[in-house]
Amino acid sequence: MMSEPIVSLRNVTKRIGRKTIIDNVSFDVPKGEIFGFLGPNGAGKTTTIRMMVGLMSITSGTITIQGKNVAKEFEQAIRHVGGIVENPEMYKFLSGYHNLVHYARMVPGVTTERIREVVELVKLEDRIHDKVKKYSLGMRQRLGVAQALLHRPSLLILDEPTNGLDPAGIRELRDYLRQLTREEGITVIVSSHLLSEMELMCDRVAIMMSGKIVDVKPTRELIGSHDQAASYLIEASPAERAFAAAVEFAGASAVKAVPEGVEVTADRDQVPDILAHLMRTDVRIYGVTPMRQSLEDRFLEITGGERVG
Amino acid sequence: MVNLILNENMKLYRRWRTWVMVALMIGAVLLGSFVEWYYDDKDAPPDAWRTEIAEEKEHFNKLLADPGMDEETITYAKDQLAIGEYMLANDIRPESGTMWDGINGSATLVILITLFTVIVAGDSLAGEFSTGTIKLLLIRPASRSKILVSKYISMIMFGLLLLVVLFVVSVLFNGVLYQFKDIGLPLVTTDAAGNAVEKSMVANLWLTYLLNGVSTILFVTMAFMISAAFRSSAMAIGFSIFALFAGTLLTELIQAYSWAKYVLFANLDLSMYLVGRPYQEGMTLVFSILVLAAYFVVFNLVSWLVFTRRDVAA
Repeated sequence: MMSEPIVSLRNVTKRIGRKTIIDNVSFDVPKGEIFGFLGPNGAGKTTTIRMMVGLMSITSGTITIQGKNVAKEFEQAIRHVGGIVENPEMYKFLSGYHNLVHYARMVPGVTTERIREVVELVKLEDRIHDKVKKYSLGMRQRLGVAQALLHRPSLLILDEPTNGLDPAGIRELRDYLRQLTREEGITVIVSSHLLSEMELMCDRVAIMMSGKIVDVKPTRELIGSHDQAASYLIEASPAERAFAAAVEFAGASAVKAVPEGVEVTADRDQVPDILAHLMRTDVRIYGVTPMRQSLEDRFLEITGGERVG
Repeated sequence: MVNLILNENMKLYRRWRTWVMVALMIGAVLLGSFVEWYYDDKDAPPDAWRTEIAEEKEHFNKLLADPGMDEETITYAKDQLAIGEYMLANDIRPESGTMWDGINGSATLVILITLFTVIVAGDSLAGEFSTGTIKLLLIRPASRSKILVSKYISMIMFGLLLLVVLFVVSVLFNGVLYQFKDIGLPLVTTDAAGNAVEKSMVANLWLTYLLNGVSTILFVTMAFMISAAFRSSAMAIGFSIFALFAGTLLTELIQAYSWAKYVLFANLDLSMYLVGRPYQEGMTLVFSILVLAAYFVVFNLVSWLVFTRRDVAA
């Protein structure tokens, strides 16, 4: 089913002193996937990512990127990787362009033409010769994406890339990532403690808790699909009458009174019947919204209610 | 490797700070030389040095006549007499009152080079850690050892640049002040046998630079090591500058102990073997060079071990 994985972690453990930070973590990421790392702060996401890019040593186990062992063949392994580790910290006293020149020099084969290309891709043409200290956070983030893409990596590793970004910036970043996976077949590994983000961005999500991977699942499965039994928010008034009618139809256990009206747990097929029943009792209906179980609910379920963020 | 050094140089020379240091260096040379020139007696007849030497001769002869003089003073007086004789006989004037006075005086400004290069060295690694740029720097196909070496080389190159600036500016500016008179003046000194000999002024100047440069390299390497180990620019720069100034004081305090000769600071001034006497009885030039080499190797080894092994966290 899976092609040769781009990244493969095998029984990776990290101990600092007597403390085990990462405990026996294994997973594979196939080509072209956006793979998310989800977990509360301190769960070990950043540590795992830092071991993948060689910023931290691996106590035991192996990490391979395109078949190259990160610990033993660092230079060959990291050649395929573009990274943003937390906020992309650039040299503020240099211009955006010179920052890119700096990183271009460190990988063989990055031409001036390629620098121009990525600058265009992240739409920084007008400001690229300004000093980075004059950039807004969003522009820095874009420059961060540019430096990560400079050497045409097959794998992008992003650690908390949305930290400190405004909603527009987050959306922009998400669009880039989607575009990159679709058009260039790049694989992306991204970590975040923001569930809503991961939900929109990732194909598959690994949930991490206290240094262990608790669950790895396609995002779709994790949040449940529309066809399954789910709950529906029915905006209706008067609320009391709507509640009574809904209980009459579906039973008290399936109905919840909410400020907007009622929330009913039912199969999709039953929705028209419920609505018809409500209308017969002269309830006015303003809208029906299917309530998906969100990643957050699922996450809380899996992690036993531990707070996130 | 070349690309890595180009990168380090780009980060160094595209900063205001670096050029402020170069400007300060030039300013210090100009100021020092100007003051030296300003207080020269410009009305003195061109032959005035002959009378001065004659007066000195009298003074040294009086010293030699005194039976209570120690060995060192006697040798010194004899040397000075030989030099004076030679100068009078060959019509060579002393450097005092010529452009060489200012140039040789500027050689003491090597301490500024040490200071500035220590600042660069102390910030070189620690600065990347404190701004967080180290993370993006290390996730490239370049080993940490190569990055460390490129930083070290670029730092030494900066020191050399300052040295060349010092040399060029002091020669040019003093030359202009004295209209390049006496530019070919030789240095008269004595050999081991006490005979007066002529030496090249420029060669002597570079020997002075080189001897002072030894201590620059060691202080810079020390700053680099602290920078790598503690990842704090302030600590690396602060401690190294403190050591630069307190080192001499420390060596005086511990001079009585025999182990003091193994202390870095006691060996830094290699010119003690050319003029004057060693810090402690029994120390030789080779001994000092070996001690300095040992410190040099240890400092670099520590930098390398710490930088290549340690995790980049936070």
